[in-house]
Amino acid sequence: MFNKTIKGMAIAGCVALSSGNIFANAAEVPITGTVESRCIIQTDNAGTFGNPNAYTLTTTPAEGGDPAVVRFDVTLADAYYAEITPPTSFSSSPSLPDTVTWTGGVQVKTVSDATGMGTYETDKVEFGNTDRYELTATGSTWFQIDATATMGGNKSFPGGSYTAVAEAVCVAK
Amino acid sequence: MLWPGYSYSESITPYTGTTGNAAQSGLNWSMGDILPTPPGLDINGVIYNYTIRKNTNDQVDVYVQNERANGTGYIFREHDEWRPGSLDGTEINKVIPVVPQNRLNWGDGSIQVEGEGRVEDPTVIYSYTVDPCYDPQFSPNCPGYQRPEPPETPVVDYSYATDLTFVRTEEDEVDVDDVYQEEQDSEDAEQEESDEKEEMRLEAALAAADNSALFANALAQSQILAAMNNAVGMNSYYAADLPGGSYNESIVLVDKQLPENKRGLRNGFAQQLLHEEMVQSQYNLK
Repeated sequence: MFNKTIKGMAIAGCVALSSGNIFANAAEVPITGTVESRCIIQTDNAGTFGNPNAYTLTTTPAEGGDPAVVRFDVTLADAYYAEITPPTSFSSSPSLPDTVTWTGGVQVKTVSDATGMGTYETDKVEFGNTDRYELTATGSTWFQIDATATMGGNKSFPGGSYTAVAEAVCVAK
Repeated sequence: MLWPGYSYSESITPYTGTTGNAAQSGLNWSMGDILPTPPGLDINGVIYNYTIRKNTNDQVDVYVQNERANGTGYIFREHDEWRPGSLDGTEINKVIPVVPQNRLNWGDGSIQVEGEGRVEDPTVIYSYTVDPCYDPQFSPNCPGYQRPEPPETPVVDYSYATDLTFVRTEEDEVDVDDVYQEEQDSEDAEQEESDEKEEMRLEAALAAADNSALFANALAQSQILAAMNNAVGMNSYYAADLPGGSYNESIVLVDKQLPENKRGLRNGFAQQLLHEEMVQSQYNLK
């Protein structure tokens, strides 16, 4: 909306200058503006994989893992969606002997407004592997991201460091 | 007079802080047990967190609140409305700024749950600011500080002394005759003193003539005193007691024969001759 308004003002200025083009040189007048986002995403806790057996890496606390937690701070109500996608691959890892099967999920962990955010979880919409939450209230919402990677063919994960990335996006309506 | 004064300076800069978990021991708490002691403490925020336990289709209302100290309602009350559809196990985390109000206005706190549900692992923390100069007498650097008045001199009651029985008895024995006699004695003493002064002037005039007599008297007096002192000193010897009954000879002469003293013999003989000569000489005078 704000971008559209600025564009309209720029076009009107050009028309006015064109009408007086006979007696003067043309000039371009820049108009700038900054829009600060009303939706800020913070990583509250980077997850950790546990390794309960040779062919499984998981963030489940009971199996030695730690889920990732991401926080959405919204200062404008009913203007954004939170779209969160658990990881579906390793961004870095040793050479793997087989394909990896991914499972995971996202859920609302904590809210700052029970009345306005208490039903975020039941109202969420899933698009494939992505969960979409409609952020109808101002405040902070903490989302917990779980992920489990299982090596195919009953093979073991090679020793080394593994990193997977979940994606959290604030999408304006 | 010197009065003790402060030789140190306290910081008068306002500072902030937070309490511990007020709900650590239950859903009701007393602010007196939570807040620190300074009187100039204003609470300016409440931070709380808990996990709701409920069935998805139930409605649960949770109130985190503090009564007013004077009992007229609530000074702070936050309502969490967990509507049907909100999931069991969801946490809530709130930071609520409040208009700063002095600790004296804050009454007991509590978490009240209405509906089929409960709260789990509650945490309630109060944030506050402290103005050390709330009491201007906290430090001489505080605005409005007044130098304290010196302490009053304590009044000691000495009346107990006159309450003693023997003192009262002495007072009772004083009568008018005694008072008159004391006055008469005082006048007599003054008269005597005047006479003595006159005599002293006369004595001074005769002093030159009587110096020798005075000296003799003084010498005689000193001799008497010396004799008295000697007598006093001898008494200790009279009273002395010699221990033991006999004293045996302790010196033994080892020589068997003592030689005649020839010089003594000659001298003795010469004396004898002289004696006889003198005796004979008296007859010769006749």
